Amino acid sequence: MKTSDRSVDFGFEKVPWAQKAERVRAVFSSVAGKYDLMNDLMSFGAHRLWKHFTLSLTGLKAGQHALDVAGGTGDLALGLARQVGKTGHVVLSDINADMLSAGRDRLIDAGFAGNVECVLADAERLPCADDSFDCVTIGFGLRNVTDKAAALSSMYRVLKPGGQLLVLEFSTPVAPGLKPIYDAYSFGVLPRLGEWVAKDAASYRYLAESIRMHPNQETLLGMLDEAGFGQTRYHNLTGGIVAVHRGYKI
Amino acid sequence: MPATPVWLAAIESLLNRGIDQSLRARAAAGRLNGTSLELRIAGLAPIRIAAFSGRLALASGGGSGARTAGTDPAAVIAGAPLALLDLFARREDSSAPRGSERVRISGDAEVAARYRELLELARPDWEEELSRLIGDLPARRLSLVARAALSWARGFARSAQANVAEYLQEESRALVSKPEVEEFLGQVDALRETADRVEARIARLERRLGGRREIEGSA
Repeated sequence: MKTSDRSVDFGFEKVPWAQKAERVRAVFSSVAGKYDLMNDLMSFGAHRLWKHFTLSLTGLKAGQHALDVAGGTGDLALGLARQVGKTGHVVLSDINADMLSAGRDRLIDAGFAGNVECVLADAERLPCADDSFDCVTIGFGLRNVTDKAAALSSMYRVLKPGGQLLVLEFSTPVAPGLKPIYDAYSFGVLPRLGEWVAKDAASYRYLAESIRMHPNQETLLGMLDEAGFGQTRYHNLTGGIVAVHRGYKI
Repeated sequence: MPATPVWLAAIESLLNRGIDQSLRARAAAGRLNGTSLELRIAGLAPIRIAAFSGRLALASGGGSGARTAGTDPAAVIAGAPLALLDLFARREDSSAPRGSERVRISGDAEVAARYRELLELARPDWEEELSRLIGDLPARRLSLVARAALSWARGFARSAQANVAEYLQEESRALVSKPEVEEFLGQVDALRETADRVEARIARLERRLGGRREIEGSA
């Protein structure tokens, strides 16, 4: 089937393959200004712990190279920059100029300028050389990518042999009794919160829907295997609401 | 494949940091590249430890999804949690007896021994790890307090053991003391030797009496 004939999930909606990137871009342009505040409100601050845990897995040392894909406002990139130090190098990439701009400002405000670069790039076609990063992270970005397999292959390509990919993403709750509460919160509270704080209920409804349409833990693990990663594993956080998937280029 | 618990990821990060900090550990990890070891701890899901690219990956459920480490581990170590802790915690030069009778090792024993050596070399420096979280000075203070508490606990355990033993042996007389047992065993040995000698003498007398009867009968 030609790409032009294919459709893809955009939340619970099916949209033509070529339209998803543009619509995702529109969602994030709309929420970029209040993104960090909304993250804190929506997760009760837990997103900081999830990101802290992800950063604890990188194994990065001073002088190494790291890439944060779909890095948005730069939470993970900031942590990566601290880990690799002044002698290292971090690339923050995002497909959305507004989010990337907010991330760049934040990194500069935190004192990181010389060893951090910001790149407006599509995760499916990363404009980076092969075998160039010791660690690649993607935090809450993979579910918004149109072709996830292409994005995983692209990230595999830019990793050095022995390098690690870390995918932090919403997943399927596994803790008993959590799912109905989580559903009620996602579809009842989240869009209202988006309306009150960011004045954009539709974008936050999309966020909740896109989480439901994202592959569950085991499916995503299989996708990492198919992309060529070895030593693949995942860790459930907060009862499986979020999971960190890991794989190495061996 | 089940999810790998967060605590296992924390241990993996600590071990890999330990490997990075030691040349010997890096060399040991390099020698184990492409192999894996399975830990079967009673009451827990199996843990697969795989070595690749000079680092370790820990996964639960016995399957690590590792393409390079193969599907079967090179060695399996099984046992109770305390016995395994005892096995990995003791140093090579320790004269204390190992809890090996409570630990079962199957598969390639050399690989198992190399993993044990690597885990010992990559053992985290707890004070250093604590200092990452709370800073150098508080970590040093806490470490000193923890050492003092541990030392006090060991001293308390030793004196409590001695007091209980003394009460049972000397006051309640429920148990006998070691010198008494040794004296009793010495007396038993002496009695056994005396009985053996008496038995030998009786046998010799019987032989003599038997010979005399034969001579008188033939006369």
